[in-house]
Amino acid sequence: MAILEVKGIYKKFGTTEVLKGIDFSMEEGEVLSIIGSSGSGKTTLLRSISFLETADKGTITLDGELVFDAANPLKRNSTKQREIQSKFGFVFQSFNLFPQYTALENVMLAPRLAAKEREDYKKNKKEIMAEIENDAKELLDRAGLSDKYHNYPCELSGGQQQRVAICRALALKPKIMLFDEPTSALDPEITNEVLKVIKSVADLGMTMIIVTHEMNFAKNISDRIIFMDKGIIAEEGTAQEVFENPKNPRTREFITSFSQTGGKE
Amino acid sequence: MNMQIVKTLFEGFGENLILFIVTIIAAVPLGFVITFGSMSKWAPFKFVARIETNLRNNRFWAEVLDFLADFRPISFVTRVFVWIIRGTPLMLQLFVVLYVPGLLLGIPMRNRMTAALIAFIINYAAYFSEIYRGGIESIPKGQYEAGQVLGMTKTQVLFKVVLFQVVKRIVPPMGNEIITLVKDTSLARVIGVAEIIMSAERFTKQGLIGPLFSTGLYFLAFNGILTILLSKLEKKLDYYKG
Ligand SMILES: Nc1ncnc2c1ncn2[C@@H]1O[C@H](COP(=O)(O)OP(=O)(O)OP(=O)(O)O)[C@@H](O)[C@H]1O
Ligand SMILES: [Mg+2]
Repeated sequence: MAILEVKGIYKKFGTTEVLKGIDFSMEEGEVLSIIGSSGSGKTTLLRSISFLETADKGTITLDGELVFDAANPLKRNSTKQREIQSKFGFVFQSFNLFPQYTALENVMLAPRLAAKEREDYKKNKKEIMAEIENDAKELLDRAGLSDKYHNYPCELSGGQQQRVAICRALALKPKIMLFDEPTSALDPEITNEVLKVIKSVADLGMTMIIVTHEMNFAKNISDRIIFMDKGIIAEEGTAQEVFENPKNPRTREFITSFSQTGGKE
Repeated sequence: MNMQIVKTLFEGFGENLILFIVTIIAAVPLGFVITFGSMSKWAPFKFVARIETNLRNNRFWAEVLDFLADFRPISFVTRVFVWIIRGTPLMLQLFVVLYVPGLLLGIPMRNRMTAALIAFIINYAAYFSEIYRGGIESIPKGQYEAGQVLGMTKTQVLFKVVLFQVVKRIVPPMGNEIITLVKDTSLARVIGVAEIIMSAERFTKQGLIGPLFSTGLYFLAFNGILTILLSKLEKKLDYYKG
């Protein structure tokens, strides 16, 4: 059974149609990359899946449960909405760490707030808090940040900040991770350290969608690739199919332009 | 300088301090109320945007409909109010508070100190509200969104993510306003509050100019203490950049 099913997602801003009916589905553990030229709607799609935007039409099913229906959207801020929200981990292009908290505090904040809603919170407060801290440290360790627990975001490099942001999203144990150009704001030399962490998350079997302009990375990590063009899915297939043998002329054009510029637009 | 003068000036400065403290205590929270008013998104005519009508083919009517759809009455009224308060002299506002209740409502303002306090509180709340608004609007949208995708409630985002950052950003401009307020309290003199400068003028009339000039020392000393406290606070908040 598909873990995620996206059907007929349509979104317009004012009078511009940005998404014109997006359908795809994903199996558990699958890594899907979305590529496409600037303005094709990749970010908007990711944001619609994670409720940062409300799509005008369409449905989203997660693990067999209808979590979004444009005809009847959940109320923002409702308990149900927040519960579903935390099943999607979202990594922003611009990190968006909380500047007043250390790396460790950034990772622990949301799980700690969520723990307060647990029934056994009062009784087992100490254990719950200790467990959250342990989990957070473990995540940071795995991202190579064991010596940065107590540094503030302003004391970290962009690559380190993004790795903290990935840990922060993972700390809520999401079912699906969504990455929106996680390395676009970074210097080329340090994109690799972030890509490595993303790869290690994929290797643990996490289901994920990655919007990226890093074609080589997409090729290597993805089980499947979607090429978006002007608000529709223009091509979909395995990395090999899409990169070696694109059917759609637009895809071919896009991929050629990338290989000529060495992966940078 | 003899003790009589020092004592009189101290008593006068006591009035300045009352004005200062009560204004701060009342205007800091009232400023927040005004900020929420000016940032209110309530747009009762929003539905107009969804009406399909031929009127839209006409440039003028299309503009009118767009204006109506975007019209936010609470925000509009609050901003006009802030504009008036910030756009007119505090000295004039003192006179207005003193005389207008008597002229319009037949309830004369008997206590000059009360009138001065009302004028100061409203005036400073308006200034504070603009500082708050600037602080709130300077927080990047990404901070709210990061909170949202982490499943936080709006209240949690406000108190756990945004509030501290806003406080850090507004402390320096608030510090400026607070120091200005200390000096502005002497304006209460124009409606007859016996603050320090008014007290000193008693001696000027007797031919002594020294006391009037020495009032400056009281302001300097008090603002000196405030400056030290404020910079301590700023340092405390400065453990991270941004
Ligand atoms: N909040 C918004 N309001 C109005 N228009 C928007 C908004 N967000 C996105 N758009 C428009 O939607 C279109 C698609 O934007 P989107 O950010 O989804 O593209 P993208 O594929 O992620 O591009 P890029 O590769 O540059 O990140 C663009 O034309 C953009 O201007
Ligand atoms: Mg984008």
